Amino acid sequence: MAEAILAEQIEETVEGLGPLELVVGIPSYNNVATIGRVIKTAQAGLASYFGNRKALIVNSDGDSNDGTPEAVEKVHTDSDMLLRVRYPLEPVHHLTTPYHGLPGKGSALRTLFQTAKAGQARALVVVDPDVTSVTPEWFKSLLEPILSLDFDFVAPYYQRHKYDGTMTNSVVYPLTRALYGRRIRQPIGGEFGISGRLASHFLKDQVWNSDVARYGIDIWMTTTAVASNFKVCQTHLGAKIHEAEEQELDLSAVLVQVVGSVFNLMETHDLAWRNVLGSLPVPLLGSPLGGEPEPASINFQHTLASFQQGVRDLLPVYERVFSPKEIRDLQSCAAAPPDQFSLEDELWVSLIYDLALAYHRRVMDREHLLKSLAPLYLGWVASFARQTESGSDALAERRIERLCLVYEQFKPYLISQWPQASREKR
Amino acid sequence: MEGMWTKIVWGPLRQLGEQALASVSSLLGMLVLVLLGLVVGWLAKQVVYGVLRALRFDRLCDRLGVGMVVERSGLARSCSYLAGEIVRGLIVLTALLAGLNALGTPLTRNLVEKTFLYLPHFLAAVLILIVGVLVSRFLGRSVLIAAVNENLRPARLLAGLTRFFVMVVTVVAALDELGIGRTTIIVTFAITFGGLVTAAAIAFGLGARDLARDLLVSQFHPKPHVDAKDTMRHV
Repeated sequence: MAEAILAEQIEETVEGLGPLELVVGIPSYNNVATIGRVIKTAQAGLASYFGNRKALIVNSDGDSNDGTPEAVEKVHTDSDMLLRVRYPLEPVHHLTTPYHGLPGKGSALRTLFQTAKAGQARALVVVDPDVTSVTPEWFKSLLEPILSLDFDFVAPYYQRHKYDGTMTNSVVYPLTRALYGRRIRQPIGGEFGISGRLASHFLKDQVWNSDVARYGIDIWMTTTAVASNFKVCQTHLGAKIHEAEEQELDLSAVLVQVVGSVFNLMETHDLAWRNVLGSLPVPLLGSPLGGEPEPASINFQHTLASFQQGVRDLLPVYERVFSPKEIRDLQSCAAAPPDQFSLEDELWVSLIYDLALAYHRRVMDREHLLKSLAPLYLGWVASFARQTESGSDALAERRIERLCLVYEQFKPYLISQWPQASREKR
Repeated sequence: MEGMWTKIVWGPLRQLGEQALASVSSLLGMLVLVLLGLVVGWLAKQVVYGVLRALRFDRLCDRLGVGMVVERSGLARSCSYLAGEIVRGLIVLTALLAGLNALGTPLTRNLVEKTFLYLPHFLAAVLILIVGVLVSRFLGRSVLIAAVNENLRPARLLAGLTRFFVMVVTVVAALDELGIGRTTIIVTFAITFGGLVTAAAIAFGLGARDLARDLLVSQFHPKPHVDAKDTMRHV
């Protein structure tokens, strides 16, 4: 089996291949069960839709020890160009399991961007290594907007169950939309397409050794593309199904990684969002690719009980973050009978904005702040479950849309409270 | 006769007068030093308070959780004010010791010497207490949030116990630094701590045998993971 090259050798190796048009990137870490299928599908997609374009498939692997490199080599044929790169996985990457399951994902993506830049590629598409619903059409959907319509960033638009992606629906999507004024429905999807110039722009950033690169690289890419005024669009990919996850990740750790990354980016891009009010739609290309989304369920009693305990026991923490009115509203919410339980959008949005402000002002240890959000988030989930229990996915989507409007409506409050010194620091 | 009169009466009287004069001048010197200390201390307090306020020291203390402790304990209205008071106190204390030293008696010299030797221990004890308060608050909050997120019902009790034990260790360390009842405190602490742990272990073993067994079984013979809560995906 051919040895994988190191990240430092990318430039020399790729330049030796001559200019490329397309790069397909597949980061991996112990994905022996699924990576072969993903690469085969990529080969099929390239052959079907881009047969006349010079393309390179790159597997960026973080020292897998389960046979992933062998599985990649097994599907390597003479007719395609496949490069295996070993990205540096440092001890810090093993400290906490990232929510996306790929330790050092930032480093993996960086090697892919370096490959695209070295090969002067017009477009790069990245696909998760554990996705089992990938089809050849995904590659067409993610690459075509860049090649034909000159877009720089193509975000995925999945068909998802109403209870799939509750953190995305309650915080990440509405907050990102309200902040930057662009409606990208899946701002932290694992699949995306980017232009060569955006890959070069990403490489210039200082993010690569930070926590954002380790845990929030997906939202970083979306935010950077939007905040830097690159041309963005969305494309239908149908349902996204992952390989069954072996272990459940602690909710508070996911909150720290995901919401912490969004809050971090708020600080980085405060000049980009402070003058934005309202939001604009982002072009949605293609048509739904079909496939049934994976069903998901919410245990209402469990989530409600978590919320009630949080409001009762975490009061000393909340009192330092939220206003007395918000505390009173939370307490009356928690005291309501289960069949009347509802966490109003207005309350939820003001809590998130106040949490973002407390995070920015470092009112207390940032990890404590983010972890204390877990019971409140479960309260939102319980409320959402009760309101949409008997409704369709479309009804749930309308609820999310209403929530987004409240985020936008309350944004002047966030702007007015955001410290002036920070707003003028650059 | 005149020489004897001078030797017996005037000599001692002159000596007494000289001594009294020296004492009065020492006393005056002490009073001047103390007054100077009070004035300089007051000025230093105003400067420290103003500078720290301008540097937003209170906000930093609030973030660290010290602000609330200072406020609730009634020590001072803010951390900046407390820092100013501490500086003032130190200056006044120094002036007082310098004044006592100026009296020049063996007793005051001894007192001053001992005080200066003790001062580093006192400051170290204060530092230990401050660090202890910060650590206890941080760990208490960590335990509280983790326990709530794990749906443990006695979350507040666990957090309170964490804070309590850290503070007990802190106070013992501070008193040890001050040299107050060193052996007694360590022995008392060891007995109390050991007793509490033993009592808790017995209570857990007897009162919650099934729970203890289940916990140990789940720890050492974990069953395959079954998600009984829900199947929602967060991200």
